[in-house]
Amino acid sequence: MKTVATVTVLGLWVSFAFAQQEDAQKILEKMDAVNYGYDDQTMELRYTIRDFDGSEKQYDIVMYQKGTNKRLIRFTSGEVKGMATLVVGPSRMFVYLPGYNKVRRVAPHAMSQTFAGSDFTMDEISNPTYSPRYNAKLLKEDDNFWYLELVPKEGEKPLYPKVHVAVQKGTYWQGETTYFDASGAKVKVMTCSEPKDFGGLRRNSVIVLRDVRTGHSTRLDILSFKVNQGLKDSMFTERELIWGR
Amino acid sequence: MKKRRVLYIFLSMFMFGICVAQVEKRLDFSGYLQSDIRFIVEDYRGEKTGDGYRFELNRNDIKGRLKWTPHDKVQGVVDARFRFYGFNESERLHDLFRSTKIEPYDFQINEAYLAVRGAPFHWMDFRIGRIIQTWGTADMFNPTDNLNSRDFSDPLDYTAKVPNQMVELAFYPASFLQVQVVWVPFFKPSLLPPSAQLGFSVERTLDNCFLRAPVPPLDRGQIELLQALFASIPPCDLNFTNAEVRIVKPSQSLRNSQVGARVKFTAGLGDFGDMDFSLSYYYGRFSFPIAYTAVADIKRAAGSTLDVSYTAEVMYPRMQVAGFDFSLSPESKQVPGFFGELALIFPEKVVFGLAVLQNGRIQESLFMSATNVPRTPFIKATAGLDYTIARRLYLNFQYVRGFFDEFNDRYGIHNYFVPALETKFFEDELKVRLAGAWNLDDLSLVVFPEVTWVAVPSVEIVLGSFLYLGDTKPLDPMSYAGRSKFGQKAAGRSVAYLKAKYSW
Repeated sequence: MKTVATVTVLGLWVSFAFAQQEDAQKILEKMDAVNYGYDDQTMELRYTIRDFDGSEKQYDIVMYQKGTNKRLIRFTSGEVKGMATLVVGPSRMFVYLPGYNKVRRVAPHAMSQTFAGSDFTMDEISNPTYSPRYNAKLLKEDDNFWYLELVPKEGEKPLYPKVHVAVQKGTYWQGETTYFDASGAKVKVMTCSEPKDFGGLRRNSVIVLRDVRTGHSTRLDILSFKVNQGLKDSMFTERELIWGR
Repeated sequence: MKKRRVLYIFLSMFMFGICVAQVEKRLDFSGYLQSDIRFIVEDYRGEKTGDGYRFELNRNDIKGRLKWTPHDKVQGVVDARFRFYGFNESERLHDLFRSTKIEPYDFQINEAYLAVRGAPFHWMDFRIGRIIQTWGTADMFNPTDNLNSRDFSDPLDYTAKVPNQMVELAFYPASFLQVQVVWVPFFKPSLLPPSAQLGFSVERTLDNCFLRAPVPPLDRGQIELLQALFASIPPCDLNFTNAEVRIVKPSQSLRNSQVGARVKFTAGLGDFGDMDFSLSYYYGRFSFPIAYTAVADIKRAAGSTLDVSYTAEVMYPRMQVAGFDFSLSPESKQVPGFFGELALIFPEKVVFGLAVLQNGRIQESLFMSATNVPRTPFIKATAGLDYTIARRLYLNFQYVRGFFDEFNDRYGIHNYFVPALETKFFEDELKVRLAGAWNLDDLSLVVFPEVTWVAVPSVEIVLGSFLYLGDTKPLDPMSYAGRSKFGQKAAGRSVAYLKAKYSW
């Protein structure tokens, strides 16, 4: 009898834990869907790189995205003007270098490099969603947020082995996100703020990614945001990169 | 006057571009302003020993690129450059009346073309006009890239090319397949560095006596015979003038057109990632000059002096190139990226002929000829890998068989190791790069350290040097192949430089 009770309690605990796991994963999926769940997106962004001493520099980019894994980014200012990056899969990325008049493939070993001096890495640019690569666990919740811990799914080797993300209840907006390295040390913190209306679509307009080790940060200001513009698949090809030179 | 009119037109065009680009997003105007100061850091690589430790260059460039997209399927591009040389070239009084002598400049249109996409078929694009093409997957050393000749007029800007008019058709029948066909009606040769003329110059001692003349591409026995002609003459009685080199230009016939075709595929290799590779074909000419004929005219002058003038001809032999290139990016971040390029070249045979005139009469016993470029196919290739260590240090190593100007003539095809290391600090604000090229056959070397500082966005300050290391004297004075690749004076001067660039 005692054994049956123990098994029942253990079973309930396991199923509760599994249900919680599933809920957390669904929250994460919904967050990804809110961020990227459109047929396509077109954004004009200004990114401001802020050094630990307070000095700043700004660059403008235009980003086109289709689904979750196709992105075309064109630099429209600064010494990198004319450069373009095409992402067509988690490990398939190309860059157009105007100085060499050449399209080059970005090898996976270079994915950990920074993206044009910002705090974002090539890997973060080519893999923007979390739910395909991470398992989520609910750490806690309050009136406004769910707090999830993300660890890589089996077989996945993302850049950060642990991520903590706050997801706003109701909107599923991504809140403060903390990235950890293999030793468990905090590496970067991302915050999203200043909700704004973009033609009927409301979302945070400011994203700040801060490197806690250096104090260096990158602020992304979304200047314009349009969705479902009917961007064609042909826009996310080497042909488009060459055309835009 | 004509030049000034061109300047006004160019500036008006750019001003128009700037103004309209602000209000009309279909026009994009970009470019840069660059100042470049170079100082020669040695005094033994010039025509005469002791010439050095002086400024070599004081140049200002204004480059603009205007891109007009009147329609989603149409694009017009004009990319032009003004170059102000910054040295006073006046030598006579009347030069002082002309601003172009005090402030010399030139104007170049790099690209000017019209591009149409998706027409007449949705899977086809075409471009017509003045275009610069880049083929191949290797870093800069692309033996399959032959449509545009190289522009080595500035040896530091070794990626530059000579623009040319062409018609390009591009087909995209499937997502994994690209086909490109290019027709270049007229051949244009590569631009050479100013130091190239030292390859034909006669070397003299400090007291102006004959020391050494360039060796022609002949057999050793023939060279010995030639040198025996002058062996009995005291060097100070030999008045060798520098060679006059003439160019045998290909005619503007259809037969001298160039054509190229390339097919690019992507193939999956399972867990190992995927590979991009291309097969290509080129028919045209080798763009660097190959020694073709020479006449040595020997005349007895006053007293015991012997005047020797040397007239040479160079030509651009035809070639066909079958090319293959690949780029492999393994899925694993721990594995380097690999790339390679191979060109199998079928050259036109070039036979070098030399005649000797003595006091106006041809010396039949001294008429010599030898094969300079055999018809045998040969290979130029590049194989390399790149890798990023600890997110900061980028390494790129290449093995190169056959430098840009090598064509299996009597100089041969040499082997090179081309390493490049690059690291960035302060969020890419400071970039340190050390690159070089090492000739594995004669062990001469060129070293290229450079520091780039992005002072504020759009403004780059570059400090660096370009150093040639190797023997300036021939390693084997009796052989055309005896000169050291980077050591010979014709390779160029070692310089330190400071550049400032503003991009918009």
